[in-house]
Amino acid sequence: MTRGGNPPLKGVRVADFTWIGAGSFTTKLLADCGAEVIKIETATHLDTLRMTPPFRDDLPGVNRSGYFADRNSSKLSICLNVKTPAGLDLARRLVAISDVVANNFRPRVMDRLGLGYDYVRKLKSDIIYLSMSMQGSAGPDAHSVGFGLTIGALSGLQSLAGPVDRPPAGSNTNYPDHVPNPCHAAFAVMAALIHRNRTGKGQFIDLAQTEPMVALLAPHMLQYAVDGVVVERMGNDDPTMCPHGVYPCAGNDRWIAIACASDAEWARLSECLGGRAPRRWANADCRRAERAKLDAWIGARSGLLDRYALMRDLQDAGIAAGVVQDARDLVENDPQLAHRGRWVRLSHPEMKDSIYGNVPYRLTRTPAKLFSPAPLLGEHTEHVCREVLGISAGEFETYRAKGAFE
Amino acid sequence: MEPTQALEGIRVLDLSDEYSHYAGKLFADLGAEVLLIEKPGGSALRHRPPFLDRIPGRRSAAFESFNTGKRSRVIDLDSPDGWHDFECLVREADLIIEDWPNDVAGRRGLSIDALAVLNPQVVLATLTPFGRTGPYANYAASDLTVLALGGFLTMVGYPDLPPHQLPQRQAIAIGSMFLAVGAMMALFAAQRDKLGQHVDVSMQECVTMATENAVQTFDLTGSVRKRFAGSQRHAGTGLFEVADGYVYLFAGGMAARRFWANIVTWLADEGEPGASALADDRWTDLSFMSSEEAKAEFNAIFAPFVRKRTKAEIYQQGRDRQVPVCPVSSPRDIAENRQMAYRGFFQQVDIAGGTFRIPGVPFIMSETPGQVSAAPELNDAGLDYQTQRRAAS
Repeated sequence: MTRGGNPPLKGVRVADFTWIGAGSFTTKLLADCGAEVIKIETATHLDTLRMTPPFRDDLPGVNRSGYFADRNSSKLSICLNVKTPAGLDLARRLVAISDVVANNFRPRVMDRLGLGYDYVRKLKSDIIYLSMSMQGSAGPDAHSVGFGLTIGALSGLQSLAGPVDRPPAGSNTNYPDHVPNPCHAAFAVMAALIHRNRTGKGQFIDLAQTEPMVALLAPHMLQYAVDGVVVERMGNDDPTMCPHGVYPCAGNDRWIAIACASDAEWARLSECLGGRAPRRWANADCRRAERAKLDAWIGARSGLLDRYALMRDLQDAGIAAGVVQDARDLVENDPQLAHRGRWVRLSHPEMKDSIYGNVPYRLTRTPAKLFSPAPLLGEHTEHVCREVLGISAGEFETYRAKGAFE
Repeated sequence: MEPTQALEGIRVLDLSDEYSHYAGKLFADLGAEVLLIEKPGGSALRHRPPFLDRIPGRRSAAFESFNTGKRSRVIDLDSPDGWHDFECLVREADLIIEDWPNDVAGRRGLSIDALAVLNPQVVLATLTPFGRTGPYANYAASDLTVLALGGFLTMVGYPDLPPHQLPQRQAIAIGSMFLAVGAMMALFAAQRDKLGQHVDVSMQECVTMATENAVQTFDLTGSVRKRFAGSQRHAGTGLFEVADGYVYLFAGGMAARRFWANIVTWLADEGEPGASALADDRWTDLSFMSSEEAKAEFNAIFAPFVRKRTKAEIYQQGRDRQVPVCPVSSPRDIAENRQMAYRGFFQQVDIAGGTFRIPGVPFIMSETPGQVSAAPELNDAGLDYQTQRRAAS
């Protein structure tokens, strides 16, 4: 296959008003594929992720958050205070020469700023305008505020995850922000770009950050719709595999996940753990009926073993087993992630040399990669004004005097 | 005629067996022609429990959910005739989605180089547990073991119990979503360059995208994030029991700081005696908010307040007062969610003679709205094809 070629989104410009989690991650997916993503920020109302730990040297600062950095690779940053007439004017000039406008504010915030869809489409008739508020732009609950964790609660992730005999545990993370919402939003923008290239028409994309998570849990929604069954959380049980669980290994808080798909696999698994399991467990129904005893039997044996050695033994026997890796393991102990170049270190004026996650898909012909580290706050203000908007040095100073760049 | 759906006319061959069905669904729901090519007997997902009991046929809830809008054709790709039929389809295709194990892909000779000879513009998008190459490439895997190796599982669960999985196989879901986005990027480039390429996606690698700030935290501070279910993350962020279930509140921590005053006002207006204590300056200090003392103090004030109220009351009041708090919803609650109903998120779909309300496309496109229709019966497009072949010969 011929290599080379331009990045997929070369020539696509995004006026990026997103911030915090899901929005910034969406535009990062576009930026790492070569779109010119111009993050419009203001020091008067910071993207709070800039002030969210971890920080380089534990020292808080607008350009020192690793959380912010990872979600803002390959972007340009311009500081515009759109609450000043001069700042708003520049934002509108930028929007007028962009392909995509993106935001994840509450509904009507962009309208109040003078940058709503109805206004923007007058400036740029084929604009693709992505709005990704928590609950969508209209409706009885549209004025809610939320974060990934509350979205996880509203969308069923919380109630369906965890042991049956404890309160619902959820994912302990802002999961909808990290994958479901950015991926669906980026997919929708790409579909809209394809449509625009064919027809010359832009459109408004209204994503409610509760819905992608529900779409992923659709099988449980079908069970309710068709059978009237309200599914409960099921701990680590699986409908087809047994044993299927997370078992202790030697060391402090060390675990291995094991998923056993057949009686033959069970025979090999029990062999790897030293044999002498009750003979009736050769039958999957018996194993399932005695789940607690089975798990205790496995745990008593796995608990004495090194987690990586046990994984290799089980894998040699053809059994799905995986060490429960933590962040250190991902970076230091995983030859597969290293093989794929999962982690990239980029040099940044304040962050120095620090870690970023690579693009999660490998494109063999056109590059998709981290083109640059996260921008400093307002790092590209002058560049964007002069090179992208084409304003003169004198005009730039006039805008500055009017407070446009605060 | 101008297309009314964004991906109208785009042809996708979906070879998903076990993992990548959701990716093809995303294309189908926006109007692409997605042909699910199934092995004799049907793709593995058709046989995955639970099955939907009240309709005829042994229908898998997962298969019915993740194959909306597709058509199905059975082809035995291990037979020369079957492979020939597949190659004919490749000549007309824009995108091929597949999740075959590495040895199967190798044995059948499925590679971008081979496909490009038939159709230089075609994109091949591959989802496997660990990627096509590397030391773990041929490891046995399940959703749970990939969540584990991808570093997500360690963050999920109660500290005194083993970590636990997420509903509906999220490692597979995560891989499928990134597969769809990666495939879209390659498709976009193929329309421009008239050249396809291979998109290689590892579920494990994609799962690491869900580890929040854990890797940066380790890199910058050396500390390793653990699971913390059952306790507040910061004071004001966590699960609280209410009269008829639970709510999740996210009002403590950096990003939520600006909502704190709204909670204080809310509690004060409702006559909660502890409200004034929460107005103190200490509650703006992130290190104090992370302390056990702060969590206990907040809990002592907030827990009794919400315990007397229902999920619906807390949700409504929180919403109107701009406090980030949501009910912990069951599938029934979600089916009855009025906001999703207002947006028309659920769609009526005919499945096996019945009409059911199922999740639709989770975003609204003003010019090219997506829509879902029932997953295909096995080989529903096979007969069309045979008719065409007879006509051609």
